[in-house]
Amino acid sequence: MLPYPDWLNPGDNAWQLVAATLVGLMSIPGIAVLYAGIVQKKWAVNTMLMAFTGFSLVLVVWVLWGFKMGFGQPLKLGPGILRAAVGIPHTILSSNNQQIAMIPLLDGTMPSFRFSETTLAYFQFVFAGITPLLFLGSVIGRISFKVWLIFVPLWSTFAYSVNAFLLWGGGWWAQAGALDYSGGYVIHLAAGTSGFVAAAVIGPRLRRDRDRAVPNNLPLAAVGAGVLWLGWNGFNGGDPYFSGADASLAVLNTNLTTAVALLTWVLWDIFLSKQRKPTFLGAINGMITGLVAITPAAGFVNSFGAMIIGVVASTLVWFSWNFLGKTKPFKKVDDTLGVFHTHGVAGLAGGLLVGVLADPKVVEYLGGSTGTDVSFSGWLYGHHPKQILIQAGAAGTVIVWDALVTFVILKVLGLFMKLRLPDDVLESGDLGVHDEEAYPDESLVTTSGRADWPKASRAAKPDSEPAEPVDD
Amino acid sequence: MKLITAIIKPFTIDDVRHAVEVAGVLGMTVTEVQGYGRQRGHTEVYRGAEYAVDFVPKARIDVVVDDEFAQRVVDAIVGAARTGKIGDGKVWVSPVESVVRIRTGERNHDAL
Repeated sequence: MLPYPDWLNPGDNAWQLVAATLVGLMSIPGIAVLYAGIVQKKWAVNTMLMAFTGFSLVLVVWVLWGFKMGFGQPLKLGPGILRAAVGIPHTILSSNNQQIAMIPLLDGTMPSFRFSETTLAYFQFVFAGITPLLFLGSVIGRISFKVWLIFVPLWSTFAYSVNAFLLWGGGWWAQAGALDYSGGYVIHLAAGTSGFVAAAVIGPRLRRDRDRAVPNNLPLAAVGAGVLWLGWNGFNGGDPYFSGADASLAVLNTNLTTAVALLTWVLWDIFLSKQRKPTFLGAINGMITGLVAITPAAGFVNSFGAMIIGVVASTLVWFSWNFLGKTKPFKKVDDTLGVFHTHGVAGLAGGLLVGVLADPKVVEYLGGSTGTDVSFSGWLYGHHPKQILIQAGAAGTVIVWDALVTFVILKVLGLFMKLRLPDDVLESGDLGVHDEEAYPDESLVTTSGRADWPKASRAAKPDSEPAEPVDD
Repeated sequence: MKLITAIIKPFTIDDVRHAVEVAGVLGMTVTEVQGYGRQRGHTEVYRGAEYAVDFVPKARIDVVVDDEFAQRVVDAIVGAARTGKIGDGKVWVSPVESVVRIRTGERNHDAL
């Protein structure tokens, strides 16, 4: 008896499953508690529940049709980019998925996988799963929970699958040579764009909430941020699909860019912010900027390049956050947690910097005795400035497509349901939406059946007689 | 009987409790409160945005004592809570009509 077929390599399979789990931890609890700590106290429960439900919804979509739309056989919709923009939807529920993993359009351009399709599907799911959770940050504090439950599967189907197929599934932009190591475009630029459009279509939070958007639990945010950082070892370390030297370099580069970006943000805060003070949440912004910016580049650049990405991206996003964010259109659109900057701008900056810094001496796959090594060239190290244009083109496609899909889905949903919660529910937050609160007080709970009366008075029309007071 | 209410800086609470006990009072009620007086609030910065916090955390002490104790207790509180800086707080005294000890039903002087 054999435990597994000879194409399967236990080291690669084990690393891939561990990496996938690390990425999953970035969503739950990572993003869930980071966002829950940063939002106002009255929105913590709603935020966490949207994160957990979003993650669940994407997994169901993923096994039913999403995975094959991102990584399956191409759906030939027409000429040009339409020839290879998305895969044919298909489930992966049958037992065939114990077979060797394969991405049809990448066959021959990379070594054969050494794990099963289930491993690949789950690994890719955790990326698909975190993306809606990232742009959740743009719409917290007013999006209707029911709209969220419908929007996430639709967005994952029509936006994410296309992003993934175009860049990772061997689709048109992959064939054109566009590089996205681990999701600078597919995930972060997509989240930044979609979040911003969704925030604009859904409308802003209550004026009062925007003016008093103070966080409720910074230590909880620290836990979430730490899980994100170290979870990113799986995010970028898993993307060569093999547990080799490129994975090691990607992990080191990821941490290096992040450290540099965090420090860069703190320095800008000290020397250039209005208050001239280093802030913890500022450092977290810098950390996320670094993680996002190295994502498209982690296994394509050398570690010197990784440090440059940290400084450049953190600086760009710091100025974007502190100056662009204060201009009129950005004040009008209520992107609650600033996902546009830390994910959109950072993802775009990292993607373009791949075109500048990709180093042909950084080898993703060895050629062995017959072939040539697989590596990629940018402007500085490989004298290939055209890579910058290719990167820009892929970014443009993701921006336009994701903005369009987000806009259309929300406009259509808006015909049937209210995208934004009514003002009286927004005033009470978690209690109004879920009858739950983040820090409930047991000592105030009564058991004498009085729990009925606040509901009765809430239902009463404001201009009618007030509900009869309860006599204590 | 008098109700003595003091709003003090939270970190002085231990000294005040001790001073009041020495003055012969056997119990007090302490509450965390917020307010402002001549000591203004402060600014907090979250993600680059400034938020004004106009209210300052304080501790509030309520003690009910017999009339003849009142001045001694007030002096004890003032002595223990004073730092000489803005924001030390206030103490005020008001008359109390009646007091009942719930456990025994004792009233007024006996209930103190």
